[in-house]
Amino acid sequence: MRAPILKQGKYLIGSIQGSLSDADLLALRDELTSTVREQRSSGVVIDVTVLDVLDSFAARTLRTISQMIRLLGAETVIVGIQPEVAVSMVQLGLTIEGAATALDLEEGLALLDARTGRGARRHAR
Amino acid sequence: MLNPTQGRKLLAQELMLSDQEIQKRKAFLEFSAEDEKALTGINDLAERYASVVIEDFYKHLMSFEETRVFFKDPKVLQRVKNSQREYFLRLTKGNYDQEYITNRLKIGAVHERIELPIQSYLGMYNFYLRTVAQRLFDAFRSEPDHAFKVFGSLMKLTFLDIGLAIETYIDSRERTIRDQQEAIRELSTPVLQFRPGLLILPIVGLIDSQRAQQLTEQLLHSIRANRTKVIVIDITGVPSVDSRVANHLVQTVEAARLMGATAIVTGVAPEIAQTMVTIGIDLGRVRTVGDLQSGIEQAERLLGYRVVQSDDVPDPNEQA
Amino acid sequence: MLSLMQEQAEARAGTLDEELLIPIRHEADLLTARQRGRALASSLRFSSSELTLIATAISEVARNILSYAGTGEILLRLARKGSRRGIVVVARDQGPGIADISLAMQDGYSTAGSLGLGLPGAKRLMDEFNIVSEVGEGTAITMSKWEH
Repeated sequence: MRAPILKQGKYLIGSIQGSLSDADLLALRDELTSTVREQRSSGVVIDVTVLDVLDSFAARTLRTISQMIRLLGAETVIVGIQPEVAVSMVQLGLTIEGAATALDLEEGLALLDARTGRGARRHAR
Repeated sequence: MLNPTQGRKLLAQELMLSDQEIQKRKAFLEFSAEDEKALTGINDLAERYASVVIEDFYKHLMSFEETRVFFKDPKVLQRVKNSQREYFLRLTKGNYDQEYITNRLKIGAVHERIELPIQSYLGMYNFYLRTVAQRLFDAFRSEPDHAFKVFGSLMKLTFLDIGLAIETYIDSRERTIRDQQEAIRELSTPVLQFRPGLLILPIVGLIDSQRAQQLTEQLLHSIRANRTKVIVIDITGVPSVDSRVANHLVQTVEAARLMGATAIVTGVAPEIAQTMVTIGIDLGRVRTVGDLQSGIEQAERLLGYRVVQSDDVPDPNEQA
Repeated sequence: MLSLMQEQAEARAGTLDEELLIPIRHEADLLTARQRGRALASSLRFSSSELTLIATAISEVARNILSYAGTGEILLRLARKGSRRGIVVVARDQGPGIADISLAMQDGYSTAGSLGLGLPGAKRLMDEFNIVSEVGEGTAITMSKWEH
């Protein structure tokens, strides 16, 4: 599978392993939404660290994924957008509404904690 | 920075000429198949006097202080002599194509790497042509026309080579200049790690497209390296902000957001604020604050810091 | 046939003369086009950001071909302009053509984030961008990026 989905407590982590074709992205969308429903996850982290190009289709699909996941009552965080990809996305005017972004998996999970109410417990002072 | 081997490989690739380009240069020098034939015709002759000519040439070089110093290391001297000999023999082997050109460039690079001055390198051709002319006329004493013709072909080929040699040297200079420009650009925009997760980027001077691009890349790489959550971009030192600069700022902020960092733009002078409103520049979701201090305070709050003034602050002027 | 051409093109990549032809027929070809584009451009002196911009621009114009013409091709070529080298990308199709090019080139995305034809975006990613289109005949986009 080009993007294996792992379970981490109440969250799911979708880790993209390599360049994805359009079909792969759609498959990810379907896998994630059905797994969120199955597992009753409260959050999803999609790790795009290895993705070398995030074009309009990818951005649209990620947006769709977050919207679907929101309808299922969960939050989405996209992590691992690399500097080069961020630059090209911004030049193309691509946004991924409906999903938060964080630097990496660690930050992404922390963000989910904060957003799904686990934050009070975890926040160190 | 590239190591010498990488540099040479890159050079060969960079200066690699298209077949079209090679044809153009040959046409300009009027180097044709006839010339190629003339040269391959004296291959045997060349093989006979190759070693002597090379020895003579380096003896000539070593007799001058300025050039002797480059060949102090006997290993280096032997290496260049060997490649010079190969070069010499290659001149009369025909097939002056892509591979020939690449080899020329490599040899030029070897000499450039040891920092042999270009006039010494070119001086070799001068010495070589004169020595060969002598031997050619000796060998074809009864056919001076033929000797002259062959010499002409040789001259055309060596001029092709000289063009390449000069390009090698020029390319190296240009690469140095580019590296220095890059270093200057990086120096002029320090990215300051202020607290864990907080970066300050003070921008001073005018921002053009090139610099803006470099700024953005530097910032984004810093975000990744320092796990930054908040960046304060201070534009106090930027004299004017037009729609292009504003655009760059917006794009930088958006790109930072994609990497999970929030940006606050500080140092927006009243005049700049006025201009931006007048021109109709919309910074969209970009947060702006008038002064750096407020910006930093806001950034710290975002990170969960609270700055509290304490009553027992020691007076720095008081003697303990 | 395609893989043979690609092999040959790859063997000679970087000689500034050759063209890489990538047919765009299926969605999977988009990945091929941008990977080949990135690979070819990486033989020049581009930063990794620029390589990503090039790959993304190729993806966008190739995607357009699929969406609006069904099939077409992408040609990739290295070129020289004076002392600078660059990559030239041609996206060609014999599709319906674009009736109003200036409209198509207008930025269609505001807050909605929808992208229209993606052409203005591709134009922003590259240094040069030229589009020729005839209704009922087809469209040809030529875009290039040069070393600095």
